[in-house]
Amino acid sequence: MYSDLIHQLDLGANGLPYSIPIHPNLVHLTLGLFIIGIAFDIVGVFFTFERPIFKYLAIPATRSNFFDVGWYNMVAASIITFFTVAAGFYEMLLMDAPSEVKSAWNFTAIDTMIWHGIGGVLLLALIVGMTVWRGFQRYVWRSDRSRQVQWWYLLAGLVIMFVMYIHGTLGAQLAAEFGAHNTAGHLLRLGEDPNVLLR
Amino acid sequence: MFDNLLPPLNEHNLPYPDTIHPIVVHFVIAMVLFAFFCDVLGYFSRNSKLYEVSWWNMFVATVSIFIAIIFGQIEAGLAIAYDAVEPVLNLHTIIGWSLSGIIAALTGWRYVIRSKNPETLPMSYLGMGAILTGIVFFQVYLGDKLVWVYGLHTTEIVQAAKEGLL
Repeated sequence: MYSDLIHQLDLGANGLPYSIPIHPNLVHLTLGLFIIGIAFDIVGVFFTFERPIFKYLAIPATRSNFFDVGWYNMVAASIITFFTVAAGFYEMLLMDAPSEVKSAWNFTAIDTMIWHGIGGVLLLALIVGMTVWRGFQRYVWRSDRSRQVQWWYLLAGLVIMFVMYIHGTLGAQLAAEFGAHNTAGHLLRLGEDPNVLLR
Repeated sequence: MFDNLLPPLNEHNLPYPDTIHPIVVHFVIAMVLFAFFCDVLGYFSRNSKLYEVSWWNMFVATVSIFIAIIFGQIEAGLAIAYDAVEPVLNLHTIIGWSLSGIIAALTGWRYVIRSKNPETLPMSYLGMGAILTGIVFFQVYLGDKLVWVYGLHTTEIVQAAKEGLL
């Protein structure tokens, strides 16, 4: 972004001081843990209907265990997402993309990047908020109930997953349409042949 | 002769908007790594609730990896892999298929352990979990290389490959 400052850094062809971006790897953990956390709370809520299926499959299953998965996965998603957002902002600062290209959603690279940045902070706040909410349900409000989560919580989880889908698509567009931090893409823009240089 | 029966491909050389394999692998990577983490934490804190958390996460990983492989094969086939990519893509494919066996076997073993006594975990299982974690890290590294170093399915690389520049 501050091109003369960035030139003082010792960066590779991908614009990063290391060969592979860190943010997209942490994203696997954020999304996987959050989505499966909500999914297991849904499984826990509808346990009555699933009991015969688990019995048929000879898989011992207890309702409270599903809520344990929902809780611990959500806590882990919260913790890891601080690092996901931090790595994302660091790599955004070093991002370089062609300014004339438009994405499938008709955004420029800078618009996509800004919306992905805002979305990242918003999602971090939502994930942490959901974890706090989940904790209150588990240990305070519903600690004596067999159904540990509120309907509103599950609904909020599904809405957040939809935000994640939009947000993730913006991130995918940064990678696959603007070639952000892509070694082969940067080499092509420099007029080099990745097929020769990356052997 | 069957060309006209196939759906049209976009600028990512895909019949649908974006790659799906990197999304499905969320549910293998996150679940395997978190399962191992919970096993270790459960072992040292003697909290057997965490063993349940890791068992169910491994259950999800086992189902997910087969879906990941299906999309992985489709997208590998459509990747227009140039010569330099080929060894990495081959290794990623072989390890991916092997992981389906390894993860399914480990989950099966876990099922037996859990059926006998859900409150304890043998050290040997933890050791296998550590090895699996190592293989998953390496596999993620290879997949990262395919996307971030070689740029498979990115518009610039697809266009260059179609124009015969690679």
